[in-house]
Amino acid sequence: MASVTQGSPSPSPASGGGGLVSTDAKPSPARQVLERLVSLREGSIIVVAIVVAVYFAINTSSFLTGENFKTLLPYFAPLAILGAGEVFVMILGEIDLSIAAMYLFAPIVFFKLDSAGLGLVPSVLLALIACMAVGVVNGAFVSIVGVSSFVTTLGMLFTFEGLSLIIAKGQPNPTPGAQVHQTTVQVHHIVNGHNIVLPEKVNHIGTFAKIFGGGVYSELIWAIVIVLALQVVLTFTRWGLYTVAIGSNKIGAAEAGVKVKLVTIRNFVLCALTAGLVGIFEAVRSQTIQPDPSGPNEILLLAIAGAVIGGTLLSGGSGTVVGALIGALFLGILKDGLILQGVQANYLLFYTGLAIVVAMTANVYVGRARRGSGSG
Amino acid sequence: MAEPGTPLQGAPTPSAASEDVLRVEHIGKRFGPVTALKDVNLHLKKGEVLGLLGDNGAGKSTLIKILCGFQKPDTGRMFLRGEPYEPKSVDDARAKGIETVYQDLALIDELSVFHNLFLRKERVHKPLPLLANRQMKREARTALDEIGINIPRIDVAVARLSGGQRQAIAVARTVNSDADIILLDEPLAAMGAKEGAMILDLVARLKEEGRVSIIMILHNYVHVLEACDRVSMIQDGAIALDKPTAETSVEELTDIVVNEYKRARMANHEDTAPAT
Repeated sequence: MASVTQGSPSPSPASGGGGLVSTDAKPSPARQVLERLVSLREGSIIVVAIVVAVYFAINTSSFLTGENFKTLLPYFAPLAILGAGEVFVMILGEIDLSIAAMYLFAPIVFFKLDSAGLGLVPSVLLALIACMAVGVVNGAFVSIVGVSSFVTTLGMLFTFEGLSLIIAKGQPNPTPGAQVHQTTVQVHHIVNGHNIVLPEKVNHIGTFAKIFGGGVYSELIWAIVIVLALQVVLTFTRWGLYTVAIGSNKIGAAEAGVKVKLVTIRNFVLCALTAGLVGIFEAVRSQTIQPDPSGPNEILLLAIAGAVIGGTLLSGGSGTVVGALIGALFLGILKDGLILQGVQANYLLFYTGLAIVVAMTANVYVGRARRGSGSG
Repeated sequence: MAEPGTPLQGAPTPSAASEDVLRVEHIGKRFGPVTALKDVNLHLKKGEVLGLLGDNGAGKSTLIKILCGFQKPDTGRMFLRGEPYEPKSVDDARAKGIETVYQDLALIDELSVFHNLFLRKERVHKPLPLLANRQMKREARTALDEIGINIPRIDVAVARLSGGQRQAIAVARTVNSDADIILLDEPLAAMGAKEGAMILDLVARLKEEGRVSIIMILHNYVHVLEACDRVSMIQDGAIALDKPTAETSVEELTDIVVNEYKRARMANHEDTAPAT
């Protein structure tokens, strides 16, 4: 792990991060921080997210509270994990729309396998393996057959959302292992020196549920671990280097000996895996498996929006996993803040849309400044 | 075949064959209805710089792609240092010591100079699979200094470099490897006079060292005579001329092309005129 600190300070292999090396005049520390921020690929979205957070903190008293942080989590943790996988596909210059289907499909497979008596953990693993198999199909169609990823994954999106409805027969099911057990415990109270025993009801969730999305911070921890791990993979391993290489110059990468098909398939598998995982987390968290594609479809588009405003190019060749997390955080802060401000529910999508356009515009300008500032 | 000489249509003489690092016999390649290569014979001596000439579509790039393992020939045989040579992939050819610098510049714009230099040969912190970026930067700097390429910063994306610098890095990438045969596909394409001179200087330096043998596709006859020991010209998918550059001239090379052009036009007329 030593290389993480000793390597290039920038999170992207392409950006080099040497923006400060050549400055011979000594700018003020604040200016240095600003320049450093601008030289980062995620720079603009960090600035935008902070601005929005500060705005809501000033305008609503309840924004900066621990309780609110907990309500913020379910908005952005799933998006961050989905975005992390999607970034690997988007850097290739491809897109995976089928993540919404994996999000829906994985918990239903999980339920069916568990109902068949396989046990919680084996059922989860098999459900995730099923998603990865879909990823293999996606990647193979894109890299071997040569169908565009948009079309391939659009087809897989409908196919597997449809398959999910068929398997579930359109009926919601309780998520296995996620049910809340109420137990009554006797609690000792000391009132006026007398020991009084009163019964109290306590909610329990199992260890499985606590780990797989049921615990308050479970998804946040998963999100942080997955995002950091995948950022390291992207920046500091051959896998990441080849992903950028293919997205930047596919023929060139192939001529240099990069195994384009293998990397493409692998990235689609990773993307499908993260989507299936999030689907299971959300099913455990909400305790029901809803065979309804509308929710997943919205989350799909938000995850892509988060990745794009986090600095990942739709055209490929450039992107960051951490950026997608910050993009997701931005979308989460926005939704949460607007609700706290008492904005009518009907206005939420409208404002989210405007904010995405504004954030993207900021990205373009900061991107230009970055390229102009002499840091790769 | 064109009149002004087809001195080497069969296999090379036995004495020449012994010092060949690379020999190609009767190579043919078709793409569907198009015959790219009919019957190509080629040889390359150790330390030699061979100029490969030919019109657009004559089959030069196809030949290069076959030599470097990117495509497979339909017919013919190849020998590397006397051993049969059948590359299964670019990686395989590279493992056998043949490196290529492509016409369409296989550099990756978004990657830094040193990542490009080390693409598919990355250094990692063993046993961890993490890239050893510092080591690669250091080695890249040394390698560029050694062959006299001056790139101010090697941690910038190659997208930000000039055409000449990019080409120099592409050449450096091959020299940096353990290759002993380097194939250069139009190294001077789309390059200013000054930058072209920089690349030809680089080739001259490599020739002086004598460690590598080079096949270079060029368009400019003056460059060929200046930089190469020998010249082979492909016409219609076969070698039409093979001579040391000392024994030929711009005039002779031009004549061959002009005659070929006339012959092709005549053939066209014969094809179309008596059709009534």
